[in-house]
Amino acid sequence: MLPSSLLVVWKRKGEIAPRYAKPSADNLEVASRLIDAYKAHVGDRKKVLKAFVADLENTGYEYRFVRGLSLLLDRRGTFTCNSKVSPVDLRKKLFAAAEKLGFPTTLERRRRIVEAVASELALSPEVVEASFYADLDDELVLERFEAPSASELLEHYNLSLTQTLLFDAVELRFAASGNWQNMFYTVKKLGLMYEVYRDGDCFWVKVDGPVSLFKLTKRYGLGIAKLLPAVVANSEWTVGAKILWKYTNEICNLKLDSRKHGSLLRKPSLQAPASYDSAVEEAFASQFQALKSGWVLKREPEPVVAGNSVIVPDFSLERAGLKVYVEVVGFWTEEYLLRKAEKLKQVEARMLLLVDEALACEKLVALEKRPQLHFIYYHDEVPLAPVLRYLEKAFEEVKVGEVEFLSSLPVRFTEAVVSYAEFAERVGVSAEAVKAVFAVNVPLGYVAMPNALVSKEKLGQINGKIEERLKQAGKLTFSEATRIIEAEGVSDASSALTHLGYNIAWRGISSDEAEVSKPPNRA
Amino acid sequence: MPRLWFDKGTLLLKGEAGTPYGKWDPRSGCYRIKACHYRDVLDYFRESRIRLEDAVPDLPPLEQLKSNVALRIYQNKALDNWQRAGNRGVLVLPTAAGKTFIALKAIELLKAQTMIIVPTLDLIDQWRKRVKECLGVDAGVVGGGECVLRMVTVSTYDSAYSQAAQLGNRFLFLVFDEVHHLASPGYMHIAEMYIAPYRMGLTATYERSDQRHALLPLLVGDAVYSIAVEELTGKHLAPYTYEKIAVDLTPEEQSIYDADMGVFKSYLQKRHIVLKSAFDFQRFIMTTGRDPKAREALLARNKALRVAVNSEAKLNLLAEKLETYRNEKILIFTLYNDLVYTISKRFLIPAVTYQTPREERREILANFGSGKYKVIVTSQVLDEGVDVPDASVGLVLGGTGSSREYVQRLGRLLRKKEGKTARLVEIISKETVEVGISRRRRQKTGGPPTVASE
Repeated sequence: MLPSSLLVVWKRKGEIAPRYAKPSADNLEVASRLIDAYKAHVGDRKKVLKAFVADLENTGYEYRFVRGLSLLLDRRGTFTCNSKVSPVDLRKKLFAAAEKLGFPTTLERRRRIVEAVASELALSPEVVEASFYADLDDELVLERFEAPSASELLEHYNLSLTQTLLFDAVELRFAASGNWQNMFYTVKKLGLMYEVYRDGDCFWVKVDGPVSLFKLTKRYGLGIAKLLPAVVANSEWTVGAKILWKYTNEICNLKLDSRKHGSLLRKPSLQAPASYDSAVEEAFASQFQALKSGWVLKREPEPVVAGNSVIVPDFSLERAGLKVYVEVVGFWTEEYLLRKAEKLKQVEARMLLLVDEALACEKLVALEKRPQLHFIYYHDEVPLAPVLRYLEKAFEEVKVGEVEFLSSLPVRFTEAVVSYAEFAERVGVSAEAVKAVFAVNVPLGYVAMPNALVSKEKLGQINGKIEERLKQAGKLTFSEATRIIEAEGVSDASSALTHLGYNIAWRGISSDEAEVSKPPNRA
Repeated sequence: MPRLWFDKGTLLLKGEAGTPYGKWDPRSGCYRIKACHYRDVLDYFRESRIRLEDAVPDLPPLEQLKSNVALRIYQNKALDNWQRAGNRGVLVLPTAAGKTFIALKAIELLKAQTMIIVPTLDLIDQWRKRVKECLGVDAGVVGGGECVLRMVTVSTYDSAYSQAAQLGNRFLFLVFDEVHHLASPGYMHIAEMYIAPYRMGLTATYERSDQRHALLPLLVGDAVYSIAVEELTGKHLAPYTYEKIAVDLTPEEQSIYDADMGVFKSYLQKRHIVLKSAFDFQRFIMTTGRDPKAREALLARNKALRVAVNSEAKLNLLAEKLETYRNEKILIFTLYNDLVYTISKRFLIPAVTYQTPREERREILANFGSGKYKVIVTSQVLDEGVDVPDASVGLVLGGTGSSREYVQRLGRLLRKKEGKTARLVEIISKETVEVGISRRRRQKTGGPPTVASE
């Protein structure tokens, strides 16, 4: 972040944007020259560095840009006071001596005082003069400097510039592809408030603060600026902010987008959700994944809307289009549980709550009646059996509903092969349900295979090709037969062969050695 | 029963009742109310005869106050007016008129948890000392990295603002020292985000050049008492003289000054810009962001001003004056920090600027107070807030055109002491813009006639 005096913006017709330093040859050159200067001036006083910066400002570059870069570089340096004596102690001695001997209204008297103090401290008068105010900011010496690359510096500058503009923000809106837990945590930590809007699959989050309800205030601008890195850390994001422009007292819109601006801004490294909130969560995740149950476990999924706020669940479990959110409610304060219960009341999504039985919170018990919430209590460790039972039941429920729906659906196919997965996606149900329906109710002219419906006509064609091959070669391996069948767009090779009345004689585990033949009675 | 509680600088109200002071907040699903309406909300429920669970205040424990504050007649009058206005309002009194004691008396009478809000860290130290002396308790401190809450707590405006969301429900009485600061767009949040029903503002310079002081009645209460320097001079304030001395720039300085001022003036002429008010100047500054020529002109003007303000001739005269007032306590004021350090180095005089380490600053001020140091040099940081009863000479080597600055600097010298006559001596460069700046700052302030001497 930069002082607002260094802010440079474009502003037109109610739109405002930082004047970004694109990685052009010109800008990269300014950045490199500054970086080189800092490298070269290690061991020199800040004053000397700043004189170089002032010179660069006067060579036709935007001075606020040059100064902004220099300020960011200052922060990568370590400036120290390298005086032999403590300047504070030295001054004390000099001032006391002047008080005692009378103010040095002539330079001669001054010289005598300095010499007296110097000899008392066993220093030379020159050292005394040099150390007098060696602790002033401009006199500090650049001791170490961690040089960034020129393009890194520009990206850092652009991010800082955006944050500086956001100091004057009265509200921020954003959408992002992930990192939710971290973003909402940051919002809360900064004393901000949020509202979530859902627009199709996209979440919009509006951020301001308690006082924003009463007036347009920049009070939360600093917090909003601090939140920005967490947002732009995502691979995809959109940001909109309302800026109260102090010079004209008008509200201007700032609009940024990862596609347009993502490459300009420094991306803070995304915090990998490596550490779990609790050992309970960690154990649950690893044990559940070890089960290979067919459910895909994801940590920190997208937020779940609960009225005007959101819950970022610990996990989501997904199988064939069915999603169940999992929230582990460990040891927390009562106030936290009340808030959580209040939020959960408004959750529409299917949610599994794993609750520490020691909590025994009546507020939570009251929620057990809600059909979309399911509670499993644990002691020390989450029991997996009831979790799986719940998941299967949920899955069955969904499937039963879907089977009813599909059975009522008048379907007529023209394709030779109808994949369950593709059809399920087209209709919006699970593939399992499609399979279950077609297994019982096979459409006319089709055969139900494990993964798809295949038309009898197609099976006839396949049969012809295999017979031809058998006639030519005398024998056929299973892997060859599979290739033939798959070339026809059918993935269920062994089922197709079985259906056509072929035998597969396995002589080991290799499909190259398995032989396909037709029993003589059908020949 | 409806419940009212504090949430990040505001109040939340939940239950089967609303309030005319709040607004429905869909984010929280309840009413939200500005913290400053705390008492209004309580009154509303009382008048409506509805019971309310009030979970708002979270106050530090009360302590037993001992008081030995005896007020002068005009101080009593000021306190009286304030009490009659419902323990709210602003008192306008000259520096050195003992504003601190009125506030301390008010704390003693209210016996309520109090936060005293001041502009600088030096003033924190000073108030703390006074609280200890007059009320017999240790004051808590918020600011400068400390955060200790006690029945009487002193904070900077900065900390009171940035921590309003955490501190807004911890006090019932707010004292705003140098209350004109409160009217700024940021700091006014303090008035809005704290529940304290009792409020007192203190200042010697009520008016702001941006006219925002018009907000103070809403934030703190009306100006309930005001008294001018002249009414107190002699009896309660030290009498003072004012002297203005104009010095010639050295020939070298004069030619640099003329050349640079020329650049600035010809730019204004070319663009037909007339700079009459502070606002005009602000607008001009804005154009320097877009127009490199304007920036060049501004830099030239600043350089010229620097030459005039930091003139060598002034230093020679300063040497003379230091001789003349050898036995007095002297405060030297400048406009720029570099002149502070030039003077400090050349005359071996302790300097206080915003860069001075806090410990050293405390020590310098303490030594100046005790008389170990007889002279200190400072830029603008001590305009408000150093209290040295026997400082009698102010040497002003440069300043802005603001009359507030003049009043404040003068105020540093006016504390009454037997037989003391304060002298404010202004040293300016002849035939430069400094003449006009000096005239501007003394406008509206009156005072004894200028003793012109060259």
